[in-house]
Amino acid sequence: MTEPAQQAQGAPLLQVEGVVKRFGGIRAVDGAGFEVATGSMTALIGPNGAGKTTLFNAITGFQRVDRGSVRLAGEEVLNLPAYAIARRGMVRTFQITKALEAMPVIDNMMLAAPDQPGERFRSLVFHPRAARQREREVRAQAMEVLEFFHLAEHADAYAGTLSGGQRKLLELARALMTEPRLLLLDEPMAGINPSLGRRLLEYLQRLRAEQGTTILYVEHDMEVVMNHSDLVVVMAEGRTIAVGAPQAVREDPAVIDAYLGGAA
Amino acid sequence: MKDFFDARPAAAAFGVLGLIVLALVVAEGLHDVAQASLNGLTLGTVYALGAVGLTLVYGILRLVNFAHGDFLAFGAYIAYLVNVTWGLPLAAAIVFAMAATALLGLASERLMWGPMREKGAGWLQLLLMTIGLAFVIRSAIQWFWGNEIRTLDVNVTDSVEFLGLRIGQTELMVVVVGIAVLVAVGLVVRFSLLGKRMRALSDSLSLAETAGIDTRRVILYTWLFAGALAGLAGVLSGALTNLRPELGFELLLPIFAAVILGGIGNPFGALSAGLVLGVVIELSTLVVEPRWKLTFGFLALIIALVIRPQGIFGQARTT
Amino acid sequence: MSVSALPLAVTFEAFTDVGFWSGVLVVAGIYAVVTLGLQLNVGFTGIVNFGQAGFMAVGGYSMAILVLEAGLSFWLALPIAVLVTMGFGLLIGLPSLRLRGDYFAIVTLAMAEVVRLVAQNARDLTGGNKGLYCEFEGVNQTCFDDAWRSVSDSMLGFFESFWSDPEPLLPLLIVIWVTVAIGVVALTYLQGTPWGRVLRAVREDEDATRALGKNTLLYKLQSLMISALLGALAGFFLALFLATIHPDDYEPIVTFFAFGVLILGGLANYKGVVVGAILLWTLLEGTRFVELPISEEKTAALRFAIVGAVLIGLMAFRPQGLFGKREEMVLGD
Repeated sequence: MTEPAQQAQGAPLLQVEGVVKRFGGIRAVDGAGFEVATGSMTALIGPNGAGKTTLFNAITGFQRVDRGSVRLAGEEVLNLPAYAIARRGMVRTFQITKALEAMPVIDNMMLAAPDQPGERFRSLVFHPRAARQREREVRAQAMEVLEFFHLAEHADAYAGTLSGGQRKLLELARALMTEPRLLLLDEPMAGINPSLGRRLLEYLQRLRAEQGTTILYVEHDMEVVMNHSDLVVVMAEGRTIAVGAPQAVREDPAVIDAYLGGAA
Repeated sequence: MKDFFDARPAAAAFGVLGLIVLALVVAEGLHDVAQASLNGLTLGTVYALGAVGLTLVYGILRLVNFAHGDFLAFGAYIAYLVNVTWGLPLAAAIVFAMAATALLGLASERLMWGPMREKGAGWLQLLLMTIGLAFVIRSAIQWFWGNEIRTLDVNVTDSVEFLGLRIGQTELMVVVVGIAVLVAVGLVVRFSLLGKRMRALSDSLSLAETAGIDTRRVILYTWLFAGALAGLAGVLSGALTNLRPELGFELLLPIFAAVILGGIGNPFGALSAGLVLGVVIELSTLVVEPRWKLTFGFLALIIALVIRPQGIFGQARTT
Repeated sequence: MSVSALPLAVTFEAFTDVGFWSGVLVVAGIYAVVTLGLQLNVGFTGIVNFGQAGFMAVGGYSMAILVLEAGLSFWLALPIAVLVTMGFGLLIGLPSLRLRGDYFAIVTLAMAEVVRLVAQNARDLTGGNKGLYCEFEGVNQTCFDDAWRSVSDSMLGFFESFWSDPEPLLPLLIVIWVTVAIGVVALTYLQGTPWGRVLRAVREDEDATRALGKNTLLYKLQSLMISALLGALAGFFLALFLATIHPDDYEPIVTFFAFGVLILGGLANYKGVVVGAILLWTLLEGTRFVELPISEEKTAALRFAIVGAVLIGLMAFRPQGLFGKREEMVLGD
């Protein structure tokens, strides 16, 4: 994985501009754009049908778009394959948790680590010792991260045997193994109980404080958004209609209109 | 340019086809092209009849039915039983074949696919079962009728001429009956309540259920429909060529080609694609030696799948 | 000895006939080789490859054409034919592996048929429906298996020192099963590596794997190419066994039978492939034991019925086969 470019705290890590995606006759995303500062926690919100999911998928390479620009630390990544974007440090989770259920928890974790010679066929065959060495490192690191999330005792269990909340944490832990610059969470609070939700937010805040991880998340839970974001981006009908501090956005008439007014 | 084609795939496809036909007419002469097209139409009718039923089953139930070809063979051999062994006229044989194959389709749904779906079986599981069913049907055919080639009691010598083109009497019958049935099918699917429901289920099974449609019944009718059409296609194919146990598998891939080209779940697409595929395969004989016909057809399928998996008429679907 | 008081005469002679078992084990071995590749694809990578018969054909025909028409030595033709087959795998994988599962299955089936039809119709290159075996130049005769025959004869000569009438298939049998053993060991080792881990992840959930920075298309291609390699080997063995290369031996039936072996043994384990291959072929060839008052034709029909029943029965009642785990049967739905 490339060394993360030294970003000054507060400089934009992610710049999204003028993204357009049409499905047939409908413009799901119609010129949306915003910036995410390094080390910040940004929330992307909007009523149903606002195009958040499409934009989210577009940024992470899971949806090709017609037009626009997505720059990660200054590098254009629009329409790159999803794996290439992930390798550049922009890693996402999924709304419906995609824990690899028929694989043990530890395998889920070790899979995510970058720079594994053992994963490349040629390295595996010609440099087996380097592969084994890295494998040991990765395993140790994986256990550490599992400890952080209090999941270490389940390391050898199949991921499918974990509870829904634990799988959600696993997905986050797994994403962290990739050493991301920018962590994108797709509705992290969806379908989990409040106490687990609090724990999750704690972890996220710790990550931000201790490791400087930049976080962008899509969310419907307004309480979470108000209390756990530096910046809020509001979308409606495919466009960004407001960007600002949580308080300011909450009072923005355009935003109130979008939620209560015409939008679905 | 790609966007233009993406936005109007049917027009683009027909445009390309038209250009190819034009080039062939210039190269080989109108008569040869017309004659090949006519031959292709008889072949295409069989494909279209087979494809309509298969596409509905595939679209509604996500069942990749590798036994469909053997449904056609089943129909053909039932027709043999009625027409040759019992000596009844071909019309009676067709009716029997369609009824028998419809029942076969229904039975497979009640005994196999329905229960498996309830168990939550995945598409690969079902696909492998359809292969098993294909084997069972084929082995039954081989058991009762052996490997030797048989023919239906049809006229293979007389032909009719019009506009300088020649068409065998049997071929003419196939085209007339086939097209008539296809038109009827088209009308039923487009205008009847059942047809609308089948299309709704094909679009989204869960949505249709929540809309209150009795999906179980529609599924059963679809199987009867698919079975009957398959039976007819089999008889017509048998009339055109002959009966052999491999008939089923030989027709399977071209019929799948028509289904995919037409867009899975789209009966009109399957219908048109089947006819066009038949014509294209026959037209290819003007350029390459006839024995390469089938290869050409499969290559067309592969190329179509790679360029546009959703078919000419289909909508892009991720799952 | 036979029990003929019953209407079905069951002879037990065949059970003890070395020739019978050699034949069964050779064919079972060939199927084991080709199905090992299928297991890697379906059971471990989650790609449903219906083109194994096509890989066998490309391997077998390339080898024979190189020996008979390009005049290469058999031992040189073998690795080149393997590379050709792997290249073919790459060629069909590149455009089609991004398709969804069932489309990929149909494309690979169509590809295998195209290969077979080309073999049937490109008469100048492949001998068409006559197939390939030997080329005659005046009084000189070259057959593609000449080199193998001399090796086989030497091995038989060696066996004669302690076994008076060695089974002629024994050398081939040994080579095939050594290959199977190597294949099982190598593939099992690969599964335990980080590379194997990525494959399993691809099978579990391709999107999640992509989101973790893995180029899943590359892994699927590698899986397909290894499977092509194994298919080529199986094609060689079949050609040596039948002493001919003919399009009829590479029909989709072969692929379907391989799937039968695969699911009988169970997904996601390689030893199951071995057991499944031996079991299925013993069962199929065992129809010769039972002397039913029926014709040869009907016995062939019976084989179809048996495989069909096995497929249906397994899928309905025991989709995990003999050694598979129930959870493993959930396939990319």
